[in-house]
Amino acid sequence: MTERPEGSIADLRKAVTDRWLDFFLGLAGLGSLVLVWWVGSRTTTFVPSIAEVVSSIPEFVREEEIWPDVLATVRRVFGALAIAMVTGFGAAYVMSRGGLWGQVVDRYVSLMLGIPSTIAALLALFIFKRSEVGVYFVVAIITFPFVALTLLQGLRAADRRLDEMSDVYRFPMTAHVRHVAGPHLVPYTFAALRNEYAHAWKVVVLAELFAVNTGMGARFARAFDRFLLVDAMLWLLVFMVILLGTEYLLILPVERRVLRWRGSGQVSA
Amino acid sequence: MRPELPTPAGPEGNGDYIRVEGLRVSYDGTTLALADLDLVASRGDFVAVLGPSGCGKSTLLHAMSGVLQPQAGEIEIGGHAVQGSMGSDAPLIGYVFQDHRLLPWRTVAQNISIVLHAAGVPRAEIESRIDRYLKMLQIDRLRDAWPMRLSGGQRQRVSIARALALQPAVVLMDEPFSTLDEVTARLMRQQLAELWRESSQTIVFVTHSIREALFLANRVYVLTKGPARVMEVVDIPIERPRRYEDPRLTDLEGQIVDRVMSVWGYGEPESEPTHKERQ
Repeated sequence: MTERPEGSIADLRKAVTDRWLDFFLGLAGLGSLVLVWWVGSRTTTFVPSIAEVVSSIPEFVREEEIWPDVLATVRRVFGALAIAMVTGFGAAYVMSRGGLWGQVVDRYVSLMLGIPSTIAALLALFIFKRSEVGVYFVVAIITFPFVALTLLQGLRAADRRLDEMSDVYRFPMTAHVRHVAGPHLVPYTFAALRNEYAHAWKVVVLAELFAVNTGMGARFARAFDRFLLVDAMLWLLVFMVILLGTEYLLILPVERRVLRWRGSGQVSA
Repeated sequence: MRPELPTPAGPEGNGDYIRVEGLRVSYDGTTLALADLDLVASRGDFVAVLGPSGCGKSTLLHAMSGVLQPQAGEIEIGGHAVQGSMGSDAPLIGYVFQDHRLLPWRTVAQNISIVLHAAGVPRAEIESRIDRYLKMLQIDRLRDAWPMRLSGGQRQRVSIARALALQPAVVLMDEPFSTLDEVTARLMRQQLAELWRESSQTIVFVTHSIREALFLANRVYVLTKGPARVMEVVDIPIERPRRYEDPRLTDLEGQIVDRVMSVWGYGEPESEPTHKERQ
């Protein structure tokens, strides 16, 4: 017995068209940014020209002392994000269980959601002085409530029918976590990771402005203090290249691979 | 005037492999879903449980699978009481749900292998069983496909392959074809009847379709509207292979419709004498 395949050629054609459309829209967006930069450099005194910045890139990337700062920031982003993900999952789990502790954690998460990044950075400066721990603290405390809320949605949306199936077939707890509960949370984990990854980059730079003398945030501050606008622009470019590069070349491909089961179109038997 | 429905010898027949006695289930402690329900099936039997939507048919299967604890009554399968953990020597139970309940993030083969692995099937045997049952259900080409890319009929066939690959003593089927289009459902009923004839598995098949129950089963338990109790037990004395359009099935169907009309549609279930009371 066979069932007809549905729309395989049409699906492929649509996918190719969509990809090209995405590419051109992306290119148009980038072009508009360059245009805004060009207009800014022509009409103000504090935006350096595109040519000036582009011509400084080779010399800038050859400077050996920029890379330790870049690496320090990358390390802080990934470290703090790992802490935020683990704490966020713990908080989401406790909230999903309800009860007294669920209520307590829920209040903490709500409170943390309302703390501005600048205040958190100043608090960290008071509490940890100018130490590395302060940066991790700020990034983790700002990002973890968002992680918790996204994962809480995932926990609440758990498919009870699949739980029932695993009960009927007497899955052991490890098999249930590995094959049912865990994979269900993966899309939510990626959503939290992607959102908070960009957020963490923005917060880490702010924390580095206040709390430490190393990292890209500290280098931004130094460039502005000395009114080195080309340097500030170059650091901004490095920031954007790393942020977007890791997101598009690392996180998105991994997400696409892990969630490949969500593809569309039917197959014939 | 229609002839009398053929009635079975009675629930205390010899060699009962499945024995459900006085089963009483309530979800909230006050509203009964199942009221003193009895059911028996011998080894290799095909029993259909027929009842209107929402009468408690699925609840019966839940209780029989051991995931639902009844308030009263006994369920025995192969001499083992069904209650939570049944012990390692207890007969395996396969379950086909109304919706396929496949793990969308695992391929067709993985969906089957996970269940076999959880049931303790030796690793070396798992692959051969997957191949065998996928071939049996004519879906071996879909081995590495993701469930979301399959049609409803294909998914349900994977779900059946998953249940059968376990080589269970009993397969519980909860309206497995009710969400499929009529043509696919007919093909699958035919295929299920053939698979059952080739195997020695005992099947308890829940449905609200009278024709489906009569076509597939040896014996049909007709339930009342909720709370479900057995209203009628009908043996189907029609040789196999059966034709879905067999006029004898049409005749039996008419008799059952006459009987259940008032109970399922307009009458009060309490006013209808149960199978036990009639005996």
